[in-house]
Amino acid sequence: MEILDSGTGELFQKPDPDAHRAYLREHRSHALTSKVMTEQEAVNKYVQDGDYLCYDCTMLMRGPSSLVREIIRQKKKNLGVGGRFTYMIINLLVAAGCVNRIDIGYIGVGNALKRAFDEGIKVSEWSNSAITMRLLAGSLGIPFIPIRFLGGTDAFHHSAAKLAKDPWNNKEIVLVPALNPNVSLIHVHQCDIYGNARIYGPSVSPVEMAASSKKVIISTEEIIDNEYIRRDPGRTTIPYYLVDAVVEAPFGAHPGEVAGRYNADIERINEIAGAGADPTGKAMNDYLEKYVYSVNNHLEYIDQRVGLERLLKLQQAMKIKQGYE
Amino acid sequence: MTKATTFTEAEATICVTAKMIQNEHDKSYWVGGGGTPLASALLAQKVYVPNLTLILEDGVIAPQPAIPLDPWMVFVAAKPNYRANAWTNMNTVCSHAALGLFDYGILLSLQTDPYGNINSSFLGGDFLHPERRFGGAGGANEIASMCWRTILHCPQEKRKFVKKIDFITSPGYLDGSPHARQKAGLPRNTGPYRVITPEAVFGFDEKTHYMKLLALAEWVEVNDVLEKMEFEPMIATKLERLACPTEEELQVLRVNVDPYGTAIGEGKWITV
Repeated sequence: MEILDSGTGELFQKPDPDAHRAYLREHRSHALTSKVMTEQEAVNKYVQDGDYLCYDCTMLMRGPSSLVREIIRQKKKNLGVGGRFTYMIINLLVAAGCVNRIDIGYIGVGNALKRAFDEGIKVSEWSNSAITMRLLAGSLGIPFIPIRFLGGTDAFHHSAAKLAKDPWNNKEIVLVPALNPNVSLIHVHQCDIYGNARIYGPSVSPVEMAASSKKVIISTEEIIDNEYIRRDPGRTTIPYYLVDAVVEAPFGAHPGEVAGRYNADIERINEIAGAGADPTGKAMNDYLEKYVYSVNNHLEYIDQRVGLERLLKLQQAMKIKQGYE
Repeated sequence: MTKATTFTEAEATICVTAKMIQNEHDKSYWVGGGGTPLASALLAQKVYVPNLTLILEDGVIAPQPAIPLDPWMVFVAAKPNYRANAWTNMNTVCSHAALGLFDYGILLSLQTDPYGNINSSFLGGDFLHPERRFGGAGGANEIASMCWRTILHCPQEKRKFVKKIDFITSPGYLDGSPHARQKAGLPRNTGPYRVITPEAVFGFDEKTHYMKLLALAEWVEVNDVLEKMEFEPMIATKLERLACPTEEELQVLRVNVDPYGTAIGEGKWITV
């Protein structure tokens, strides 16, 4: 295939479909066995320093907020991040010193990230869907995928994409490399002990992300019996053998919303945004101390830092149920 | 319809866009982010086109959002997703755009050039050392690449309409040369269609792909607009006058679509 142009951005996660197959053969349980564990166990076991991390959605909407707080609490270092469609999570991870490289689709830029840019954090530029298409390729077990966008722009030139001649039609086409994250985090409405997960409503790319990742941690609003899964298999969004760990995390997306279950806690979201705006970084450190480091786990967070009254109000404020049950 | 006399710059942009959607009511609209693009679509849906084919970046197809939306909450949330025809995901609607199913994209631009290229990455400095870094392409690159026609929103300011943008995040006509987009791998016969500012509407010359002034708001003349651009656009032989926002549009916009003022509060007040 003739290559006409190449982006100069660093490729943080080089695709290797055969190595990925071999990894899953050796490490992923393909059996219907329980994968339930605490968030401490899941993050300790499946998130290693240096890993390339992806997560579905944002701290505003069905994001894996409780797992992200646990990653920060365990002081993971040198993580790469597939930063598409992310506002607050990326800022919290960067502020906590967990990140050393970012593929940018869309990031909400706060002062932590601004300082990280000043200090030379490594970035490659893409777009939201360029990254989700890379995950799609990763999920198909193929090394790259042609896309009809990104070409011609500076984003292309600062990515690791290539412009090639389509070998059949001789027309120009952009190729992006498959992305197989080391670890992915997905927060879902329901999941059984084996990892059969149900997401209600739209999403970014949880299925592609789960299928493309070496390690997958699911946090779930509730654990449901496998009997319910078997009675309505069409509802399963992610099947069990794509999953390594299942963590029960009611209100796990807080301060974000889980559609159909509870509203976003806008005051607490504004608190993160406000902390992120402090150029000295002190307010963000205070935030992390108050909501992450000073509690031992998610249960303590929702009990001591959010509280029953607030949680019930968020639950009651979610008036829209249709489509989510 | 009563002509309004006082409104914000953002409201002027939104109302012009909503009327465009009314004129092309049977087309599909892929809207990037929230802000004025989404407010335009929601106003059009509420006032002119109840069955609007609105596509959101997270894969929501033709919703009737439960407005007002809460601050921040424009994606993967119950209110914007409400009463959709389908809930899919980002890759699905991206592939639908690749198939040519989306007629119009509506986007907000941080900075644009004579060929309608869009910068939403950084201002000043260089890529590794940006003076002011912004979020990046988000979904704008795929929208600007694959919709048949792209509509850009941009404030009418000299620093927004520049000869050369700091970074091409999302494609316009690139260097303007013939077939520049398809040589870069983008679908043919696509590209920026209109740039809407509070004071004017621009198109692009068919041959040169250079930006061309097509219409003016009733409270400005050509020079007022040219003074607020670093480059001089082509000027249509016959300039149209844009309709002012109506009281009915503004009432729906302020009470139902955006009561928190997150989109409509942008820019100065205009009194005519």
